[in-house]
Amino acid sequence: MGGGTAVEWLAPSSLEEALALRAERGGDTTVVAGGSFLAILMNQGFVAPTSLLSLGKVQELRGIDVVDGELRLGAMVSHRAVERDPVIRRDWPVLSRAFGLVASPRVRNQATVGGVLADADYASDPPAVLCAVNARAVLRSPRGVRQVAIDELILGFYETCIAEDELLTEVRVPAALGPAVYRKFRSRSSEDRPCVAVAAARSAGRLRVVVGACAEVPQHYPDVCAEGADGPIDDAVAREIGAVYAKRMAPLSDSRGSAEYRRRVVAVEVRRAVEMVGADGAGNGAGREGAGGEE
Amino acid sequence: MGIDPRVAGAQRYSVDLERPGMLHAAFVRSPHPHARVLAVDASGVPSDCVTLLPDDVQDLHLYGCQVRDEPVLTPLARHAGDIVAAVAAPTAEAAKAAARLLDVRYEELPAVFDPVQAVSPGTPLIHPDGALSAGEAVSIGVRPLAGTNVCHRFRLVHGDLTAGFGEADVVVQQAFRTPGAAHAPMEPHAAVAEWEDGRLTIWTGTQTPFNLRGDLAVAFGLEEERVRIIAIPMGGSFGAKTFVRHEAPLAALARKAGRPVKVVLDRTEEFVTLNRHPSVIRVRLGAKRDGTLVAKELDCWVDTGAYADCGPGVATKLGYAGVGPYRIPHVRVDALAIYTNLPPNGAFRGYGAMQSIWASERTMDVLAERLEMSPLELRRKNLLRDGDVFATGEVMHDVQFERCLQAAADAVDYERDPRGKGLCVLLKGMQTPSRAAISVERAGVGYVIRSAACEMGQGVRRSLQLMGAQMLGCEPGQIDVPEPDTDTSPFDTRTTSSRSTHMMGRALEVAVRDLRASGGERGYGEVHNEGGLDPDTGQGVASTHWHQGAAAAHVTVDEETGKLTIEHLHGVAYAGRVVNREGAELQNEGSMIMGLGTALFEAIEFADGQVTNANLSDYNLPAIGDLPKRFTHELIEREGAEVHGLGETVLPPVPAAIGNALFSLGLELHELPMSAERVLAAVDARDARAAAADSAPEARVPVAVDGQGLSG
Repeated sequence: MGGGTAVEWLAPSSLEEALALRAERGGDTTVVAGGSFLAILMNQGFVAPTSLLSLGKVQELRGIDVVDGELRLGAMVSHRAVERDPVIRRDWPVLSRAFGLVASPRVRNQATVGGVLADADYASDPPAVLCAVNARAVLRSPRGVRQVAIDELILGFYETCIAEDELLTEVRVPAALGPAVYRKFRSRSSEDRPCVAVAAARSAGRLRVVVGACAEVPQHYPDVCAEGADGPIDDAVAREIGAVYAKRMAPLSDSRGSAEYRRRVVAVEVRRAVEMVGADGAGNGAGREGAGGEE
Repeated sequence: MGIDPRVAGAQRYSVDLERPGMLHAAFVRSPHPHARVLAVDASGVPSDCVTLLPDDVQDLHLYGCQVRDEPVLTPLARHAGDIVAAVAAPTAEAAKAAARLLDVRYEELPAVFDPVQAVSPGTPLIHPDGALSAGEAVSIGVRPLAGTNVCHRFRLVHGDLTAGFGEADVVVQQAFRTPGAAHAPMEPHAAVAEWEDGRLTIWTGTQTPFNLRGDLAVAFGLEEERVRIIAIPMGGSFGAKTFVRHEAPLAALARKAGRPVKVVLDRTEEFVTLNRHPSVIRVRLGAKRDGTLVAKELDCWVDTGAYADCGPGVATKLGYAGVGPYRIPHVRVDALAIYTNLPPNGAFRGYGAMQSIWASERTMDVLAERLEMSPLELRRKNLLRDGDVFATGEVMHDVQFERCLQAAADAVDYERDPRGKGLCVLLKGMQTPSRAAISVERAGVGYVIRSAACEMGQGVRRSLQLMGAQMLGCEPGQIDVPEPDTDTSPFDTRTTSSRSTHMMGRALEVAVRDLRASGGERGYGEVHNEGGLDPDTGQGVASTHWHQGAAAAHVTVDEETGKLTIEHLHGVAYAGRVVNREGAELQNEGSMIMGLGTALFEAIEFADGQVTNANLSDYNLPAIGDLPKRFTHELIEREGAEVHGLGETVLPPVPAAIGNALFSLGLELHELPMSAERVLAAVDARDARAAAADSAPEARVPVAVDGQGLSG
């Protein structure tokens, strides 16, 4: 903990109370979900909040429900729960797999669905896969409720569109109608964050390919993906999509790889992901998910 | 036996220490890699805190285990993270907050971060006044080069190098680099210091209680008996907790506070406390057409950081280990321990051997390719055998290199198909000279064995119990092994270099004989290993006892991304005689896993002297998912052999075995770690060579890569 002064710990036990506190205190207090990311920032002295608003006791945020075929994940659902939930494993296996590839079980028991989106860390696994499956984040405040797509939610490094009086309370994922894969390319340890993350999904004839961990926000080029709209995607198309993603992107450099290296890997990993979802036709509801899904 | 206290959570570590009236310390560290402290203003610090400022240490002396170059608080910061002041407060949080209120003004100075650059003319000097040799605690004569940043030069001269290369039909030259690495023990450095009647007591996790006592006595101008070190079991160390670290400023702070003071370093501080030596190593190796080695030259630039610590010893060991377990008639080694403005580098499991074995054993495979010989056959042809003379002039005994190498090769079926496979065989020394003493006393139902052998998870207590039980005819559980205490434990040089089971085992035999001869109540045993190398010629006794081992790796590569898969890794250690089988196997596994981290992804990254990955998210350690698909090892024993140390033998060969496996696929790696990005660059380079060879079949693309800007 930073400093010798006590940090205020707000721990509402209902969503209503949490929303009221958030609206009242706004930026004066820092929202804590699982704390796995915030604790690192605090330990390293990058942030020193004087007040924390914990969502740990808010039971309404822990639900995993399916409503009209749509998956609804409460913000406080842990990565481990997404990984292991039998319904998600059956109907949205790409989510189970992607969340199951995050760090280690110790981290996955703590880290939450809402937390990882609100942190907007470029090197996290879930944003790219949630973006590929067209998930939306539910933002609530006393002013009302709104739903935003993942690429509207995440604006930049650690920056989101969540207003000072809003809480991210839920993530909604539409029914999966076609194959989807998540390829996590790690350049170092198996517990490392991705050097390049590629999520690809085909649904009702549409292909979505999202590259994570390479830029400020998940990268998604709908015009390039349009090529794979109908019918099986052959190897040449997959290669072309990979090449265009690599060319158009401006990857960053960090200890997991230089920009130039990432560009090389993006071409390869995008191609592989597209091949995996493209192999079995247009994905009109036949097989829900592609096989593999990781390197 | 009950549940292991470490499993039950009952083991007390130095982070758990409590003393009545204790305060908590925080250190104020320089943000600059090289800067003079102009003024320290403590007026903003709360009144219930005690501050330690430059004026408070005027009466203290420089200390250092091999070179006395380190002040208790430094008026001249030589690395980012150097300790310039300290604060004690009622709680650790209050101390950290108060430390931030201390206002230090600096004058920044030019800095140097690369060991090769640090010895080029015109480079700023980091210790311009030079430093005194520590003398006593040192097993090597230190040879600083006046007016340079070289704190020690080790040379080995054997035969006539020029004549040797003159006889060679083939000569290869290669240059290699290794980065700094973190020991990353689970438990950070922690200690409590307390003064009573002018006598200092420190409870600390340390591998070197007697060295610590001696060095602190120097720093505080005390008789050694006025300093007491109680060595608490460590939650891991790997060399990090050797010699004086956090203990000196802590003791000075406790002296000023007049109360016990405790400190626990945080993970970020660990990365500026002690790391592994980065190195640049150039190897020239010459052979006859039939593969007989005739000459070898090694030039080593060893970055010891801001303070020498044991860098001179590391450069020495790195230097002679790089000769390798071979009969080579003409050898020259020149190893420089060099100051830079990086955090100090010191003992790290393997003590320099990994760096030079990586360079030398990679070069062996390059030579084998040039000779169109099997790397296994080239090694076998030149390995030292019983009675051979090593480059230091020592006659080798109990030599098992060929068995180790063959076992490694067989494990990966090397002779049937060497593609994607690599080998490494190594020789490594033990701390020499050294002394170990131990006492045995009869107690209620068994015995008490006292020694200064420190427990850091390696199982030295268990080994002493097992050896004692066998010699004394009782159960291991009937033997009590108290923690080392310099007031009551007999002297031991230190718990390093895989020497404790070997040295203490021999001392214990003497002690048990003494106990029997003198009525069965108490016995004392002491063994000395004489030796040491002449620093100017490298002749003498490098090691009274050789660590011998090998490794083999089988890899596959995703050539589109450079991602490596280790299909199989096999380690071999010569054990002589195994004392604690489970413990010995765990040492092999732990060494190999550390070797994997070194080989594949561990590196401390710096930007202008600042560590940029000082946490365990950005600095990757091997996780369970990083183990090779097949992960095997063995302990080689010999009837009637003595106990051989094996706590680190199979770490150094892992990077070279993997590097050689890549080389068998045409992929040339010269720098650790062998990251996916570097492997992909090696794929590109191989393909470019192939394309060039296709277009001009007669033009041979040179294989050797010289070091960038190296000057001999």
